[in-house]
Amino acid sequence: MMGFFFAISCIIGIVLCCFGGSGSAALDCLLAGADSAVELSISLAGTYLLWMGLINVASEAGLIEKLAARMHKPLRLLMPDAGDASASVTLNLAANFFGLGSAATPFGLDAMKRLNTVNPDKKSASNAICMFLALNASAIEFMPTGVIAVRIACGSADAYDIVLPTFVSSVFSAAAAILACKFFESGAGGK
Amino acid sequence: MKYVIPILVAALLAYALIRRVNPYEAFIRGAAEAVPMLLRVLPALAAMLGAITLLRGCGALDALGNRLSPVFEKIGIPSELTPLILLRPFSGSASLALLGDMLTRYGADSFIGRAASVCVGSTETIFYTLALYCGSVGISKTRHALPAALAGCAAGVVSGILLVRIM
Repeated sequence: MMGFFFAISCIIGIVLCCFGGSGSAALDCLLAGADSAVELSISLAGTYLLWMGLINVASEAGLIEKLAARMHKPLRLLMPDAGDASASVTLNLAANFFGLGSAATPFGLDAMKRLNTVNPDKKSASNAICMFLALNASAIEFMPTGVIAVRIACGSADAYDIVLPTFVSSVFSAAAAILACKFFESGAGGK
Repeated sequence: MKYVIPILVAALLAYALIRRVNPYEAFIRGAAEAVPMLLRVLPALAAMLGAITLLRGCGALDALGNRLSPVFEKIGIPSELTPLILLRPFSGSASLALLGDMLTRYGADSFIGRAASVCVGSTETIFYTLALYCGSVGISKTRHALPAALAGCAAGVVSGILLVRIM
């Protein structure tokens, strides 16, 4: 799916740029994307170092295992083959919920690592991984901090007015993502 | 919220000391894993951000928006929102910038302004997240993660606009 998306969008882009009279613009775009990947990685590096260090302190102190044991049962409904990832999954969703975007990503990456250790095919996403990615993409968020900041900057009289509809619609979004995962899990027979 | 996270961090370090875990060494061991992980993520990000920049730069995203507007109108999505909805799964910073434009143009407290805010708030940068998370562990076949995430995104947008209408 990802490979298809990557190839198709590049081909469409290059063809359109060539018809638009400037084929090199396509390469400029690709290069700009690679550049921003480097910039992004560098700007995220500090956050990752800090939080992955702290996650490991919690892990070696036995806290991650404790939380994992507690969250195992509720999460098993969503992802039966989660291994010991339940703690990181919970922490990732919790950090997203409170709008701590930068802290959520290291937890999410930790969850991916743990989910993939119990994944029989390391190159292909397991059902649990798909469920985790879909949940993550539906962004259940109590405080959409970025949106509120833009609303305040644009002179909204009631910038927080959108918090409740945003929250309710993200719950709908998560429900749809879960249902879609369950549908694909059963319909595709696990393949 | 301002105090919760710092206090949790302090509590975590105190707990580690009580459990006789060396927090400094544990921190270093954990942080050491961040560097190889960043290097694993970088190629996936470069590919994905390149494709996304190209798709926007060549005008394909705008063209798709023009095609989809009438379809979106039928399911209750105002055509003003189409560019934002198409951009949102690809780029968080670009969609926040576009949201800013729209709020200035239509008014932050107008129907369009509020609906646009809810759409951005209740959805995620799916393609970026997928590339980042899968890239970090070397997964190349994402199976049904993308369609499921897109289904969630669509449900978020449609229900969000509906909620803004009635609330």
